[in-house]
Amino acid sequence: MAETSTAQQMLDQEMIARIGRRDQGAFSALYDRLSGPLYSLAMKMLGDPAEAQDALQEVFLQIWSRAGTYDPEQSSVFSWTVLLTRSRVIDRLRARGRRSRVVVASTEDAPTAADASTVESAADTAEKNDEAARVRYVLNNLPSEQREAIELAFFEHLSHHEIAARLGQPLGTVKARIRRGLLKLRQRLNTL
Amino acid sequence: MISEEQQDQAALYALGLLGADEDAAFESELRANAELRDLVRELREAAGNLAITAPLQLPPASLKQRIMREIAVETERVVPMPTRHATFGWVPWAMAAALAVFCGLLAFDRVHLKRQLADIRAADPLMQTTFFTLAPSTPAPADAKATVAWQPGRQSGVIRISNLPVPQPGKDYQLWAVDAEHKDPISAGIVRVDKNGVAQVRFKPVEKAEHVKAFAISLEREGGVPKKEGPILLVGTT
Repeated sequence: MAETSTAQQMLDQEMIARIGRRDQGAFSALYDRLSGPLYSLAMKMLGDPAEAQDALQEVFLQIWSRAGTYDPEQSSVFSWTVLLTRSRVIDRLRARGRRSRVVVASTEDAPTAADASTVESAADTAEKNDEAARVRYVLNNLPSEQREAIELAFFEHLSHHEIAARLGQPLGTVKARIRRGLLKLRQRLNTL
Repeated sequence: MISEEQQDQAALYALGLLGADEDAAFESELRANAELRDLVRELREAAGNLAITAPLQLPPASLKQRIMREIAVETERVVPMPTRHATFGWVPWAMAAALAVFCGLLAFDRVHLKRQLADIRAADPLMQTTFFTLAPSTPAPADAKATVAWQPGRQSGVIRISNLPVPQPGKDYQLWAVDAEHKDPISAGIVRVDKNGVAQVRFKPVEKAEHVKAFAISLEREGGVPKKEGPILLVGTT
């Protein structure tokens, strides 16, 4: 598991258990740990700070109210909160009546000047965070067509049918790219 | 053995791309197939990691304040409001004042005791003991619990467990120290409970643990493992 070491996962689980017992201190600590990556995800998908903040607020209120239902057998705390975030963001995208027009930056793209001046770039983050660097490295080393299919699915929430239409590829090809890419991602994150 | 089609479905499911009907059908397949469940979990973890490849942006500090206010209000809402009695309206206020004075005395006493304890600890580093309370995590029984008394100076501690059932044959409970300086938890040995689900044992981690943040108990293969593999049943900080 890349984002979180086993030790960190244990601490996350402990925090979730305490949140389930209405511990506001644990909630505050979990917010400090996860709000950055979850907000970044919401921003990448929505491209609008006000909407991303509203989505993040909904996510953390859900964490507060649903901590007792978290099941460590299903996913790590981090992945659970990513799922919650994507779900809230997708609801917003649907409510907008359009797909996100935010362009998913290819992992090959260097951060633009605007990126560098306004946000911490992915490269900067990678320097500070071994795990982020590792995920980025693995992602960058996937075949580009697999990476593209996965990113369109994950960040733009395009269905496999929509991805096939956008890329002009048969549906079966797109499914195979997503499957192969995700399996490679899993295998390489586990072995690196 | 998982077929290629099942792998396709698992990847799409992990990314949330299946429609409602497909989701339901796949979930019923998942319930009957443990291997497929494991695959979905791992693919979901892999997909979750994509989130950290987004350029890092931090939300404004005001957002946290907004959220903390919301949960504080929600917490207050579930506290039942006392009923008012017009005739003796001053009684609750007098009780509150008395309670405040009492709490003040207790707080003073606590500070005084803490100071005394700190003095004793400072005099003898080996006397330093930190207590950890371990709470259950699914799938442990809700009433399972453990307390750890940890002495960093001695690099040893005592754990007391209650209400943890005897594990099935071929399995053992293993204690772990989560240390800030180590990426993986450090094994602190096997803990065996009696038929009443109780254990009290002295332990020593296999590696030096100078910055222990938490202790945890997992269910592992019989005899224990060098690196945690099984589910966490109890975990807790100070």
